Amino acid sequence: MALDDYRADGMRCNRCSYCKWIPLDRIKSWEFAKGCPSVDYRHFHAYSAGGRMITILSLTDGRSEISDEMVDIAYECTLCGQCDVSCKVCRYDMHILSAAREFRYYLNQKGVVPAAYPEIIGKLRESGNMAGAPQADRANWAEGLGLKKLRAAGAVPGAAGAADPDTVDKAEVLLHAGCRYSFDPTLRTAVQAAAKLLTKGGVDFAIDGDEGCCAGKAYDMGYRDDFTAAAEANLKKWAEAGVKTVVAPCATCFWTFKRLYPKVAAGGYEIEVLHAVQVVDKLLKDGKLELKTPVPIKVTYHDPCHLGRQGEDYVPWDGKEAKIYGQAVVYDPPRPRYNGAFGVYQPPRDVLKAIPGLELVEMERTKEAAWCCGGGGAVPQAYPEFGAFTAGKRLDEAKSTGAEAIATACPGCVKMLGGAVAADGSTMKAIDVLELVEQAL
Amino acid sequence: MKQDLVGLFGDNHVLDDPAILESYARDESFVPPIKPRLVVRPGSEGEVQALVAWANQTGTPLVPVSSGAPHFYGDTVPSVPDSIMVDLSRMNKILRIDRRNRMVVIEPGVTYAQLQRELAKEGMRVTPPLYPRANKSVIAGLLERQPTLIPRYNYSLPEPLRNCGVIWGDGTRFFTGEAGWGPADLEGQWKAGGRQVDPKGPAQTDFYRLLTGAQGSLGIVTWASVKCELLADPKKTLFVTAEKLEDLVDLCYRLTRIRVADELFLVNGAYLATLVGADAAVIAALRDVLPAWTLVLGVGGRALFPEERMAVAEKDIAEAAAAQGMRLLSAIPGLVTSRVEAAVYGPAGGDGAGAEGADRAGAAGHWKLRYRGAVSDIFFHTTLENAPGFLATLLDAAVAHKYPVADVGVYIQPQHQGVAYHCEFSLPFAPDDRREADKVRALFSEASKRLIHEGAYFSRPYGEWADPVYNRDAASRDALRTVKKILDPNNVLNPSKLCF
Amino acid sequence: MALSDETYAALEDIVGKKNVSRDPAVLDGYAVQMLAELVRPDCSHYMPRAAAIVMPGSTEDVQKVVRLANKHKFGIKPHGTGWYHWASAMYDDRDTVQLDLRRMNKIEIDEKNGIAIVEPYVIHAQLHAEAIKRGWSCNIIGAGSSCSVVAAACAYSGIGAGTMWMGGNAENVLGMEWVTPSGEIVRNGSLGSGDGWFCGEGPGPSVRGIMRGTLGCRGGLGVYTKCAVRLVHWPGSTDWPVYGTVPAYRLPLDKTFRAYTVAVPTWDAWTDLYYKIYDNEIGYTLHRQYNLAGADLAPTFWLMYNDATKQLSDIPEMVKQPGMAELTEEMRISLQIVMAGRSEADIELQDKVLDKILEEVGGWKVERYCEKDMAEFTNMYMNRLGHKEINFVYAGNYIGSWMQAGTPDWVKGYVPVAAAALERDYKDGLLVQSGGDSMMGTVGAYPGGGIMGLEQFVSYDGNDMDSMKAAWYHMDDAVKDAASIGYPPGKEALYIEMRYTDEQCFDKWSNAKQPFAYVFQRKIKDHFDPNNVGDRMYNFIPEEWDTAKKA
Repeated sequence: MALDDYRADGMRCNRCSYCKWIPLDRIKSWEFAKGCPSVDYRHFHAYSAGGRMITILSLTDGRSEISDEMVDIAYECTLCGQCDVSCKVCRYDMHILSAAREFRYYLNQKGVVPAAYPEIIGKLRESGNMAGAPQADRANWAEGLGLKKLRAAGAVPGAAGAADPDTVDKAEVLLHAGCRYSFDPTLRTAVQAAAKLLTKGGVDFAIDGDEGCCAGKAYDMGYRDDFTAAAEANLKKWAEAGVKTVVAPCATCFWTFKRLYPKVAAGGYEIEVLHAVQVVDKLLKDGKLELKTPVPIKVTYHDPCHLGRQGEDYVPWDGKEAKIYGQAVVYDPPRPRYNGAFGVYQPPRDVLKAIPGLELVEMERTKEAAWCCGGGGAVPQAYPEFGAFTAGKRLDEAKSTGAEAIATACPGCVKMLGGAVAADGSTMKAIDVLELVEQAL
Repeated sequence: MKQDLVGLFGDNHVLDDPAILESYARDESFVPPIKPRLVVRPGSEGEVQALVAWANQTGTPLVPVSSGAPHFYGDTVPSVPDSIMVDLSRMNKILRIDRRNRMVVIEPGVTYAQLQRELAKEGMRVTPPLYPRANKSVIAGLLERQPTLIPRYNYSLPEPLRNCGVIWGDGTRFFTGEAGWGPADLEGQWKAGGRQVDPKGPAQTDFYRLLTGAQGSLGIVTWASVKCELLADPKKTLFVTAEKLEDLVDLCYRLTRIRVADELFLVNGAYLATLVGADAAVIAALRDVLPAWTLVLGVGGRALFPEERMAVAEKDIAEAAAAQGMRLLSAIPGLVTSRVEAAVYGPAGGDGAGAEGADRAGAAGHWKLRYRGAVSDIFFHTTLENAPGFLATLLDAAVAHKYPVADVGVYIQPQHQGVAYHCEFSLPFAPDDRREADKVRALFSEASKRLIHEGAYFSRPYGEWADPVYNRDAASRDALRTVKKILDPNNVLNPSKLCF
Repeated sequence: MALSDETYAALEDIVGKKNVSRDPAVLDGYAVQMLAELVRPDCSHYMPRAAAIVMPGSTEDVQKVVRLANKHKFGIKPHGTGWYHWASAMYDDRDTVQLDLRRMNKIEIDEKNGIAIVEPYVIHAQLHAEAIKRGWSCNIIGAGSSCSVVAAACAYSGIGAGTMWMGGNAENVLGMEWVTPSGEIVRNGSLGSGDGWFCGEGPGPSVRGIMRGTLGCRGGLGVYTKCAVRLVHWPGSTDWPVYGTVPAYRLPLDKTFRAYTVAVPTWDAWTDLYYKIYDNEIGYTLHRQYNLAGADLAPTFWLMYNDATKQLSDIPEMVKQPGMAELTEEMRISLQIVMAGRSEADIELQDKVLDKILEEVGGWKVERYCEKDMAEFTNMYMNRLGHKEINFVYAGNYIGSWMQAGTPDWVKGYVPVAAAALERDYKDGLLVQSGGDSMMGTVGAYPGGGIMGLEQFVSYDGNDMDSMKAAWYHMDDAVKDAASIGYPPGKEALYIEMRYTDEQCFDKWSNAKQPFAYVFQRKIKDHFDPNNVGDRMYNFIPEEWDTAKKA
């Protein structure tokens, strides 16, 4: 879709401002009523999703021109999608999150991006990953774990000097670590825990020592060509390796593979995409993992945007707008709603509840109403203060539960919340769910 | 002057008999007496308008009055010489009773006694203030924002007043509220289905709120629509007693919050004795036996399943009382409940003078005056939790002025569904005892000042309260003066009252 | 129009650089407004663009900006949550600074006395949530809980589903803090005397008499920076145990709560029902709410809505399913009632009373809608009013026409005309064909009942010129249709005024049945707004239009 395609949504936005709040029914306090970090930080209506719709109208109507302010309006947003959930509480015809992404793409095509972007995308283009680190270091996190690895492209089995007893050419289940886990040593324990749990649970899987970046962040930044190239490369590799299931311990990778890759895959998308926490949940329920060691800790769970409200199943759709009853706007065929109703909310909670001695307490803004950690949409790089502000608000909410730790299922969230903890001087821990599970083995 | 007015109103309705003029020159308050020049008794809206027009032309002050004597707060005593009393008691028609919409439209001379009797035929009444005298004008009581007895029906302080027909001080005829949106023709509005229910507006002004508390200084009301309640039947009165006011505070909060009772108010023994005692001797005797504090609760059934409704209310009240460790009584020891009920529920309050036609010039028989012959009331608004503190201030001042503390009557009336409380301290005294009268006067002044200073909100700033109240709130004072200049540019209506 | 750099710099000095903007994209965020397309030339979605957006952080900030406005001669237009075309600047040819009050969002609750003190950006949902925790509730206006409490209490209508029991915001407002257009601060009642927030009347004549009236000044006469409202007892759980799959959240019914949809066979029975409800004092929130989706479609719509797997496109199929036609007829004249008892005995009695009333008027409870799922949905919906954007569900835009307020007997008079008129107007498919009776309204628009109105929901597509024009014409038709039966115009007339020039407005108001109100308001404006910093959302007649004077 092009930006003009979202004008209809803009014309049908009546400025209700629901996009600024969590679903109103779910508000339990003054403090934790807000849903949109962007407008909470910058305040002007343009920074809300509804305001962004108006900006699109204003720009395409020729009433305004691209300005520094417009760059911030478009990009100073984590694309968390809370706005979309709240809008869709009452509307079946609006797609404000898609519009926000389309707006970025539109500006990006014109070369209009935040100052930090060229360096970020440069890393992907030069190094093949978002960290700008040597790809050869990709699987360092897996050292000593004895994991099967897909043979690197062009590598010959049994090459002189290379002892590679765990290298495989095929793997039905691929554990995709993702760039953050691959290159940030502070986050490593979580992906290691995921690998150990899958191993202990008897899952036959491999990792890719030469993983390609999922490029979901590139997509969000508006670099769709880069995304498409990365996606095609990954899909090709998976096809060659016979991969049927991709397990991602990173929520962003999970979302990218689940919701974006099907659009790129030519001839249909047969890959089953699971988050590691879903796999562990199933292993526990099937009795293939047993948790015996108490982990006496009070924990609250933070729903990552990409696993939660944006983690619903992909539904292919190629349709058009239609009208019924004269003017009621519908789609033919019916368009998938993607309103956060069926995101991955329960598995991580069930996993936490299965840990002996652990007490799970909930924040007010949970599931589809979760407040963002501030890590999405390339915000930490392009708008670090805004990112920190957002994470700080989530930490406040976590603290209000009396929890000792905030558990989540995404390295981006752990990083942001950990940063907030450090800035706050709090004793709270930001930790991945699977690390807690590992402690309970 | 008299000739002009006789020409407009006829001989019978322009009065200059010295005794009559004297009767308007003073009231039960301490405001300085000033005799009016004449008394005029208009009989219609048109006559009121003509009078106001004439007053503007001649620069003559007008003082509206609708109720018969006794008056208590000085608002109907002229503040400037050569005033004309505008006695509206002739305009005493009940214009329309509407049971379905529970609305009544009345003229200013309609009294509580008259109205309640007529409404009772339709199974209704207007929520009254405490024990109104038989000749008390309903419209006057509502315009004064006299507190009414049922807090849960007091959706807003001016309730149950809704719309008004008014002649503003500049002579303009106007309808307030919903009636202000249509033509200024009541019959026409009724024919078209209008019932003058919504008090707001018209436009972006709540004109009726400007009229309330104005002491007739902005406009003269010539009719009003009033919301009626259904008469409760069956009905009973219940009581909770206590040694200290503080002991009843939480229960009172609870009961107003859950909206379970009809009539609900607090009185101390002295006030209760005055309310129900037939004469001074009985009052004195009762004061010795009545509880220090009594919460009076009316419980009734209306509409469908009235007996059950009353029973459920009583049960809920009893539970609320029990939760506070208190007991619900169906009678106060030493007191016949029917005496209380006569005072609280009677159509005119049962003051012995009975129906309309009671002596207008005389104060004989009014329950407030029975004990000592005169009374000085200090009243203001507060939240309930602060009432005991204000009482302590008053008692402290009483002691300092050697006024017998046992004589101080206290009446606390929850209003606005329990947010604001009318708090009234009643100081009876013998008017003919010069020293006592001076003492009470000094006590009144000093206590009032202290209470104002301590945060008691004198929402109805009669007499000497006006200056300190408006000095505390210059912005409101200036806003009201602006309103006055608009509505009564020649300052003919009750000048020198309030901040005008 | 554009502010001078000097003026802009002065604004930055007052509120800080990051709290002022004149970027066109930011400005248009305030110009695009609901219903603009029905009042602006060529159905433009843009109201006049403000010259700058300013976000004050305090009453002092507001006062300084207002004083600057007087000095530098620009207009001021404040808004809270800003949802309606009259929240925007009014004039294309005048500099108006839009005050977005969202930084002023504090709330304080006096639990003992049941009073909440709020700043302009506290929305009803926030107040409600904080009140519920403490065993209180509050009236939520018909436009829903996303709206500003201060705006509803001080500057607009204030009526909602709870008004019959709880009072409207107009009755519940206590102290108000008003920065006048000349930059003074006026506080009413006990607040003005420094005695607290609890009493809105007086001293003497109530100053608040000039502060709101029926409609409030809609941002046209100064800025309300704070107010207090009365809270109402909540006999339910203080946990707010909302559950369910978005969008159809549910609130379990506490044992002293009931949530029903009741129906009657005729409009005569409907009026009798209302009068009996008034006399019997039952109900906590009461509203003919679900019918906003149209009597032909509503029963199906709400069942669709409560199924998280369904959407609008499922309605044509669902409406044909077995039983739906019968349900549609069963619910044709229906409304929603939530009852809350202060005790179990009380709610049992209320139940008995309701059953008896229904028996007397020949009405019934709509069984399907009283089953657990729909009852819990109704309980949630009616208590929090968090779904009011559903007013726009069909095509993103709706105009509420009719809604003349009066007694039920009187309102009944316009129902068939309004219904027939909508069917006429949507026959060519340019408006949503939801059923001629798409009318919605609260049971009591004043506490205790006695007065109410029914708003016709006319849904149109704001992305379709023909549809917008059809809505435009509908408004004009509605005025004529009302006149044809001797009724005054309804809500659409207020919107039509927005198309007018000042002169056309003055002409209209000077021909009001009793124009004195507008003359009075001119004189109020002369005093409080000598430099015309406000706009014509506060209605007045200039001296030269004062027909009484001319006469």
